[in-house]
Amino acid sequence: MSTVLQSLSTELADAVQAAGRAVVAIHARRRIPASGVHWRSGVVVATSHTISRDENITVTLPDGITAPASLAGRDPSTDLAVLKLAGQSLPTARLRSDTPPTVGELVIALGRPGPSVTASWGVMSRVDGPWRTWQGAEIDSLLRLDLAIYDGFSGGPLIDAAGRVLGINTSGLARGVPVTIPVATVERVVTELLERGTIRRAYLGIGTQPVRVPESLARKLELKGDVALLIVSLESGGPADRDGLLLGDVLLELDGAAVSDSADVLAKLGGDRVGRPLAARVIRGGQVKTLQVTPGERPKSRAA
Amino acid sequence: MIAPPPPPPPPLVTAGLAQELAAAVDELRRVTVQVRTRGAATGAGVLWDGGGSEGRGLVITNAHVVRGDRATVELSDGTAARARVAARDLKRDLAALEFAADRAMERAVIRGSPPLRVGELVIAIGHPGGLVGAATLGIIHLAASEREGHTPRWIHADVRLAPGFSGGPLADATARLVGVNTMMHGSLALAVPAAAVEAWVRRAHALVAP
Repeated sequence: MSTVLQSLSTELADAVQAAGRAVVAIHARRRIPASGVHWRSGVVVATSHTISRDENITVTLPDGITAPASLAGRDPSTDLAVLKLAGQSLPTARLRSDTPPTVGELVIALGRPGPSVTASWGVMSRVDGPWRTWQGAEIDSLLRLDLAIYDGFSGGPLIDAAGRVLGINTSGLARGVPVTIPVATVERVVTELLERGTIRRAYLGIGTQPVRVPESLARKLELKGDVALLIVSLESGGPADRDGLLLGDVLLELDGAAVSDSADVLAKLGGDRVGRPLAARVIRGGQVKTLQVTPGERPKSRAA
Repeated sequence: MIAPPPPPPPPLVTAGLAQELAAAVDELRRVTVQVRTRGAATGAGVLWDGGGSEGRGLVITNAHVVRGDRATVELSDGTAARARVAARDLKRDLAALEFAADRAMERAVIRGSPPLRVGELVIAIGHPGGLVGAATLGIIHLAASEREGHTPRWIHADVRLAPGFSGGPLADATARLVGVNTMMHGSLALAVPAAAVEAWVRRAHALVAP
């Protein structure tokens, strides 16, 4: 009787079954296990916030076998973690990296919060350009979902109706709102974590607060914008302190770009900026001054 | 001048999907009843036996839908019948309602096989907030014990239910019954598997049969 409806049902189940072969359960916290995706051979991607211990991590594979895994590295700022899994034969995830998802596209979130795979369905509710997490990491595109979150959502893959992976799901980046970390970001972070065990991020050691520059001063100094960043804290001995920035300096530009909130500063502090001097234009004592500051590598223990 | 682009082809798949979904929902509505106790609508029920041979119809619903010994079942065609609770199981949250049927009615078709797969479509019918015969579409969330063959205690479905769906059918894309909707656990719907209902009815019926 039914043909299209039945075919859709079968195809969705097929997609879940195929993609589920690369989804594992990760035991690295108390109570319910989280999910992970066998991304490359012997490499499992998971979410950092669901891994609460660095050792004694095990994974349950789709065939029910439980195997030990080691943490190769994690990046709380993108909420990604990479685990290594030795000597197991399971397929790697089939990635869809050529065409981005579109708003309204039918998607399925998979999880494995135990021995069996679980699924919830919905649509892409928002697809947008790059965004920055609250810890300053850049995510290549904003993928928001309209679907229900169940146990095991974080670390599981978002798949399309053909079973191809669109990214890794997490509820830990946007105050519980379900988002997907796109394939491109996962690839980048996985590569760096496998090479270095950590994500290099440049830092200056400053705390800032947006301030409005008085109009008269802005006119006198021929400024482009009227909002700049007041330096309200300075890490003692940190890169900015060492290079002569002072508390009370008003930061106008960094590397030639106007800065009006902390995201503008973070945008200039990618991993490749470590050790490479940046020009910082500041207002100090009513005068505009340009200083050279050399970002350092953000210490690992610091969250942001 | 640039020629205007040709109009897009009509969305054949979507149109077919909508039509078939409506047909499946219609079919399910015919085997879904309203259950009322003491005049108040308390939930839904599944026409388990159309009463062909013995002139008695059987409706399966949740135990929490019928608190007393008597209830009224209202069929999809609007006819109401007084029913008595023939069996009740609080642990499984199931109740069987018997009523006099003067004619044979369509009954729910149970899906015996194949086993449910995660991701396959499911349709739930119920009467939320007095809205009679409402339908909602979802997928199977978890197929417990993929390896062993035993019947799981619950069907877990990713489908949005509300009060009023209790006791109603959960069916597959071909409108075959897979379970009886029983409760929400967070945003997850839990249904008693049709096979478990079937086994219970057989046992309960043996107990109450004259």
